[in-house]
Amino acid sequence: MIRAQFAMVINLDKCLGCHACAINGKKVWTNREGQEYAWWANVETRPGVGYPKLWEDQERYGGGWVLVNGKLRLRLEVEKKFKPLEMRDYYTPYTYDYKALFAPEVGEEQPVANPINMYTKKPMEIKWSPNWDDDLGGANIYGKADPNWKNIQASIYMTLRNIFMFYLPRLCNHCLNPACVAACPTKAIYKRKEDGIVLIDQTRCKGYRYCEIACPYKKIFFNWKTGKSEKCIFCYPRLEVGLPPICVETCVGRIRYVGVVLYDEDKVLEAASAPEDKLVAAHRSIILDPFDPKVIKQAKADGVPDNFIKAAQESPAYYMFKKWEIALPLHPEYRTLPMVFYIPPLSPVIASMGPNGTYDAKYESIIPSIDEMRIPLQYLANMFAAGNVDEVKKALKRLVAIREFFRRINVEGMSKMAAASVLQEVGLSIEDADLIYKWLALGKDRWVIPTRNRPPRLASQRIPSIQSS
Amino acid sequence: MRKGTLLGIILGIVVAAIATGLGAVLATSQTPVILVHYKQGAIPLNPDASFWSSVSKVSIPLSPQMLVYPQTYKSISRTLKVAAAYNGTHFALFIEWKDSTKDVEGIPGNISAFADAVAAEFPVNSSGMPYICMGDTAHPVNIVFWKAGRGVENMVAGSGYGMQPGEKYAIGMEEATTSPVEELPPQAQIWVASAKYENGMWKVVLMRPMGSVFPLVPSFKPGETTSVAFANWEGSLDQRAGMHEISGWFTLKFAPLTATGTVTPTPAKTTTVTATKTVTKTTTATVTKTTTVVKVNKGVIIGLSVVIIVLAVALGLALIRRHTT
Repeated sequence: MIRAQFAMVINLDKCLGCHACAINGKKVWTNREGQEYAWWANVETRPGVGYPKLWEDQERYGGGWVLVNGKLRLRLEVEKKFKPLEMRDYYTPYTYDYKALFAPEVGEEQPVANPINMYTKKPMEIKWSPNWDDDLGGANIYGKADPNWKNIQASIYMTLRNIFMFYLPRLCNHCLNPACVAACPTKAIYKRKEDGIVLIDQTRCKGYRYCEIACPYKKIFFNWKTGKSEKCIFCYPRLEVGLPPICVETCVGRIRYVGVVLYDEDKVLEAASAPEDKLVAAHRSIILDPFDPKVIKQAKADGVPDNFIKAAQESPAYYMFKKWEIALPLHPEYRTLPMVFYIPPLSPVIASMGPNGTYDAKYESIIPSIDEMRIPLQYLANMFAAGNVDEVKKALKRLVAIREFFRRINVEGMSKMAAASVLQEVGLSIEDADLIYKWLALGKDRWVIPTRNRPPRLASQRIPSIQSS
Repeated sequence: MRKGTLLGIILGIVVAAIATGLGAVLATSQTPVILVHYKQGAIPLNPDASFWSSVSKVSIPLSPQMLVYPQTYKSISRTLKVAAAYNGTHFALFIEWKDSTKDVEGIPGNISAFADAVAAEFPVNSSGMPYICMGDTAHPVNIVFWKAGRGVENMVAGSGYGMQPGEKYAIGMEEATTSPVEELPPQAQIWVASAKYENGMWKVVLMRPMGSVFPLVPSFKPGETTSVAFANWEGSLDQRAGMHEISGWFTLKFAPLTATGTVTPTPAKTTTVTATKTVTKTTTATVTKTTTVVKVNKGVIIGLSVVIIVLAVALGLALIRRHTT
């Protein structure tokens, strides 16, 4: 069974940490009572503990799947000890006393809008926020607590010479093998057949919060007012009229890409059960080539509309994750097969000035040694490839090669053909390079969104007997 | 101790454990019928009303639900005390249980608590006894669910209830049954509830009209017998969904409408009911289990007592004689 699925790619190499995605997501969907603390889209600063605090520590929160004797099981079912999150795992939501800025009295001092607790409505001191460790502000304190330091001596990277940082924007991953769906006792969570968006039916949800424990990305938020859980809806009301999700459209750095991928539903379980070092490869293997006539034929037979197949052929997500392998899933070891992919960040090569004023960077062939980059490969691999450094290396090499290719043309004045040797080295063509340049450098055509071409549904049309007669 | 006796005890414990694990409550057979007392006038919704403190209650033992995901792995044993009454137009259940922690949902910013809750289920039709865990297609169950801080909900369970999608849609429900338990549409939300937590004790009164026009909600009739089962959630143990305590099925017997007084739940033959007074006027001073008493003809009591004493003496003498010979 071939299905279509919306997927997103986020280019971390260009994320400038402006939080426009988070703010707009909040303004559009969760700017209301009950969801004060909820950020369906958020931006984290790494190394850091993230939001909610230490969400990647599954020993603490019990999210995702584990292999037990080769069979996939929910971690929360294997070790029955996990509790849903508490407000202290997030932060105390606050607003500001804006009225103070417009106070009629003219005083000696500038008016100040003091923070106010959103629940008690009383002044408070801010002690944590959705991105407390922003801009290295707290990295010397919290950075070491980052769960991605596995097999790395973290203290080395806390020194001034070696320190690094990058932003990690997050949202619901609309997984192919969602743990939240499996954990829901009332079957209130479902994955939409037509485009794979994972949704919580607010009429069926009883607020049992097993989904919240099961989601390894901690992207399900309990609404204390309605007693039901809520999550990112991939802005499906926008997608249905051909618009991209709000976080994508408002991305200032133009680093978010949305498209459709076709995948083999029958292979999902197999891919999610792969050995850890092969998880990324297994994940890629179930994404199908939308140009393959066999795939097209089967997709049509399985009810995928023609415009979805066409969109899959133009999908940035297909090219970046499947074809070029420059995008990677976030924490594949949770085995949920997440469908938001990340292009890992490049970073400067650690080098020093040579005695003759030359730049003493190590190069293997023309491409600088990826191992010498400031952000340790192992750290990125722990985050995006279940520890498999080779996957990260491959992606970074290709990104460097693209830069080198265009540098040769624009700076050295080489012809495209002559410059292409650097592309050959990493297995890319000139056409690939042009397309990558269009998407990653220029930020053009960042989304390809097919719609179902449904006419608006009126309430009177809902009675089937009237329609058929 | 003899080997056989020991084996018997162990076997008994094993059987009991298995039965409990399967959701069967062993005590059911020994527990009296829950009698729905007839009351003239309004039934108080206030759990503190003297009517509810005076009316007789039945103890409902509970055991952890271990059949379906999510199973109850954290539990403390507890017992519900249940009373029921109707007044011709309305039916009410009074449920109380000991709970050392008051766990309420819906407090601004509080996402740490699961609420204490209680539920009662009734067979939707009289075609047979439904499966205790959420009924089945032929025998759906109607569930009233009360949750501290959230209120009361009327629900139905039983794999589609044998209804066509169109039929379900016509009565205001979702066409496809995708959840084991579904909330009924607004017109079927006929329950009201009030609750009080005091001195380590929850008291909840659930009330609804006797009759129902909604197909998946049973109507109750005077003199009729139906069934009821209970479930209870302890919020402080994170109990919610299938993680909870359940009872077995109990008989729910509506007293006949003709008896305007009350009927005692244990049908003792020594008392005769005279249909003159209502429950609220009775005294509870000398009553132990049957706290709801009415004015009874003194002569009848004396007469019956004499007969019983004579019978008891005769029985005693007979036993002594048999023992001595």
